[in-house]
Amino acid sequence: MSERPTTSEATTLEDDTVLAIEDFCVDYGWGDAAVRAVNHVNLSVRRSRVLGVAGESGSGKSTLVYAATRLLRPPGVISGGHVSLTFDDPTSSDAKRRTVDLLAATPSELRAIRWSQVSIVLQSALNALNPVLRIGHEFDEVLSTHRPGMKKAQRRERAAELLSLVGLNADRLARFPHELSGGQRQRVMIALALALDPQLVIMDEPTTALDVVTQREIVNELAQLRARFGFSMIFITHDLSLLVELADDIAVMYAGNVVEWAPANDLYGAPRHPYTLGLLNSSPPLSGERRELVGIAGSPPDLSQPIAGCSFHDRCPFAFEKCSSQAPELRVLDDSGRKVACWLHDSPADVPVALRRRPRDATRVGAQTPSNAEGVV
Amino acid sequence: MSAVRVPRSPKVLIGAGLVAFFAVLTVVGPWLAPDNPNATNFTANLRPSSSHWLGTTALGQDIWSQLLVGARATMIVAIVAGVVATLLSMIIGVAAGYLGGKPDEGLSLLSNVFLAIPGLPLLIVIDSYLPAGGRSNSFVIGLIISLTGWAWGARVLRAQTMSLRNRDFVEAARIVGESRLRIMMFEIAPNLLPVLASSLLFTVLYSIGAYVTLAYVGLTSTAVWNWGTMLYWAQANNAPLANQWWWFVPPGVCIALIGTGLALMNFGIDEFINPRLRSAGLSGRIRRTSGLPRRPRLGFTPVARTATPRATWEAGSR
Amino acid sequence: MLLRRLSLYLVTAWVAITVNFLLPRMMPGNPVQQLIGKLTGQVTVQQVRAIELAFGIGLHQNLWDQYIGYWHQLLVGNLGVSITLSTPVSSVLQSAVPWTIGLIGVSTILSFLVGTVTGTLLGWFRGSRLDSLIPVATFFQAVPYFFLGTVVLLVFGSNLHWFPVLGAYSQSVTPGWHWDFVFSLVRYGELPVITIVLSSVAGWMLGMRNMMITMIAEDFVLMAVAKGLPRRKVIMHAARNAVLPSVANLSLAIGLVVSGALLVELVFNYPGVGDLLLQAVLNEDYPLIQGIFLVITMTVLAANLLADVFYFVLDPRTRTEAAV
Repeated sequence: MSERPTTSEATTLEDDTVLAIEDFCVDYGWGDAAVRAVNHVNLSVRRSRVLGVAGESGSGKSTLVYAATRLLRPPGVISGGHVSLTFDDPTSSDAKRRTVDLLAATPSELRAIRWSQVSIVLQSALNALNPVLRIGHEFDEVLSTHRPGMKKAQRRERAAELLSLVGLNADRLARFPHELSGGQRQRVMIALALALDPQLVIMDEPTTALDVVTQREIVNELAQLRARFGFSMIFITHDLSLLVELADDIAVMYAGNVVEWAPANDLYGAPRHPYTLGLLNSSPPLSGERRELVGIAGSPPDLSQPIAGCSFHDRCPFAFEKCSSQAPELRVLDDSGRKVACWLHDSPADVPVALRRRPRDATRVGAQTPSNAEGVV
Repeated sequence: MSAVRVPRSPKVLIGAGLVAFFAVLTVVGPWLAPDNPNATNFTANLRPSSSHWLGTTALGQDIWSQLLVGARATMIVAIVAGVVATLLSMIIGVAAGYLGGKPDEGLSLLSNVFLAIPGLPLLIVIDSYLPAGGRSNSFVIGLIISLTGWAWGARVLRAQTMSLRNRDFVEAARIVGESRLRIMMFEIAPNLLPVLASSLLFTVLYSIGAYVTLAYVGLTSTAVWNWGTMLYWAQANNAPLANQWWWFVPPGVCIALIGTGLALMNFGIDEFINPRLRSAGLSGRIRRTSGLPRRPRLGFTPVARTATPRATWEAGSR
Repeated sequence: MLLRRLSLYLVTAWVAITVNFLLPRMMPGNPVQQLIGKLTGQVTVQQVRAIELAFGIGLHQNLWDQYIGYWHQLLVGNLGVSITLSTPVSSVLQSAVPWTIGLIGVSTILSFLVGTVTGTLLGWFRGSRLDSLIPVATFFQAVPYFFLGTVVLLVFGSNLHWFPVLGAYSQSVTPGWHWDFVFSLVRYGELPVITIVLSSVAGWMLGMRNMMITMIAEDFVLMAVAKGLPRRKVIMHAARNAVLPSVANLSLAIGLVVSGALLVELVFNYPGVGDLLLQAVLNEDYPLIQGIFLVITMTVLAANLLADVFYFVLDPRTRTEAAV
């Protein structure tokens, strides 16, 4: 990790990082009008692991991921940092790992990687599927573009196989998006995302538009699919309780910054940042004692105005003088490797009780590897 | 309404300039005309010269004077027809969109019928039954043109009204107990202004075309000078075949220019209604200093490393 | 949806026919006297009869019975007798209508295709040099059809002799389905078609451009990029949806194109109904005017229906609505 992959040459890394985001900055607009939406973020996704990214809307979580994959729309501009993707090169015979600098890649290089190595599922499948094309066409198009050797019958067979993975009948292939239910459409999107066995699947609030029951079903299916195929995943959501079931690590974002990073269980059971605590209190718990749901007072800051000090200080119940003048940086907190950007932890004696709970194991569904916290990021 | 930001693209400015120019011409044109357009006391078929800027007709009339005098009749018919048609389309469109149900069905059917009947043939048929007095009356002609030109606007306004109908402020007015007529006039109509303006531009554009066409075909009084009758006389005297371009080209170009002006102005209204249409490109100066592409390309977010790297952060974090 | 449209067109047809019936009967004065006055005594018995039929005078029937009779005549294909030509209107129209339908059909389809393709490119490559096409096309749209036709005819036909002009085919070939005639037909059709396309293309172009710009903001277009599809396929994803409003407006535009095309026929001496209509108007040949109006309206309605069927095929969502 100390070496930054800047070229698209094959660099064999010791560890198994799939996506490395380093010192990453994203602006909206240019010059004086520019608004920093993602601010010096460092994150990485390891092989077969799930990184959860949580935050309110406007926290920069989606911007981060779209910009990292160069899919961010104008007026988004990547204003700094590095993003590299490492994957098993399908073109080389000895299954060598290849690393590509996504910010330096040419359009044709990006096209080759897209969907075959990085696929994406959006919040609304109704908008993500072309309304005038049959479901089968979407599969056929992806397969014929990236697997030119496949015959039409093979492509159809593969499409049917993919649909059966998400519990849908092959007759759905002849349907149009508006003829399916919301849950079915999102399953179609998931099946489509897996069509080319990608290294990384990005889920941008894939369950937010669905009812609670379907939400659970799809999260469970995703956990099983990941266990079976071993792809890595970035799961973006505002619902921390969903993440703890699925993610290995969770990054909490606020106003363009990562304010806390920790293994999922640790973060869920023992938050260290006041914002994380607020997020947890505003979503219903998975199990255990009932608790009063409290929203976070106030609203996210206006990023077009300069913020003095910690961006969360005016909403933080524990804020003190330093918070409004100096911005805290994300620092390693303890031996477990978890990180937090908060001045409260400078003097361990003064940490509020709510932010010093001991981690305990929560129930996790379908995760095959226990999370550990060795030097990621 | 002070917060309304009118897009100031060159297109809109040129369009507004053209329209303003012809608007002024409408008012002052007849006074500026050096000669009586009917006077036949000049040499026939003169080429453009300093004494006759656009030459003379086969009857020895001054073409420049005809062009100036004709501007007024052309514009008056177009404005009468445009305003009346827009009013008609507003009344019918807003009523249909706001009232819904049976009135909507009836009014929509009415406008769809008028949309489906080809306008010009209907115009010609109605006009051919007009007595001569009607044909020479600009207002009568304008009213008939408006009759064939209101339906499209009504359809657009109806759709727009329907989208406004359930907004909070309309709902609030309804709860307070304001009358339907009051709500339509004071709550809904002001919000339709951009659409109305666009509709007015288009009906004026249509009316100019329709009026000039009628005149060219010979269905308006040939004694009234407008750009269409100029073309009619030019055609009747075989000016095009004789290559007397100074006779038939000026009125045609005038019609085209004012039409272009109206259409260009409408671009501004379009961008006002649909912000997605506003230009997304960067200015030249920013482009040069930043090295960013002029046209952002979908799916290839530009990279311009302007942020200061945080080397210290990385050291501290590891 | 299709049934709704069909009933609309039936109502429209009824309105057009009724207007056609009522207009001459609302006209003040005695048209027979006027006609006699105009033709200074050279009026045949047939002509008087024709005009009496058209205006419903001398029949000694009430309006309702006249209306029934009018429908009856219409249904057996009797549109009255032309006053100036002294032949049945229906047979006059028979020779003219195919020309008009051919000219308008070809021009409308061409204009739609050209406008849609350029509009797609204008929308996708917004801000590029292609944008300079917009004011040019706008200008051509604002020029009256007949004026553009006159200029085009003079410049490219009479002066440069690039295209043959006046008429629908060369006088030296005999009409029939053989190569020489078809070739001549195409050559003579070129300039009128170009005129109509130039005048009408801007509408399609701008509509498509605006819809493309709207579509590019949609998620499924971003997804097409995320799928690593080649640019051509991404554009097609957007265009396939952006074209729908254009197709929906196709039926509306046909009416406008017809109006313009009639005048283009005039300018180019094309043997369609445009020329016929002008002659009829100048000669106050009311039965012929009415017949032409009816035929044009019916043709436009039929074309509208075709355009609606096309839309129905293109947008799967309308099909489901119809099924429910």
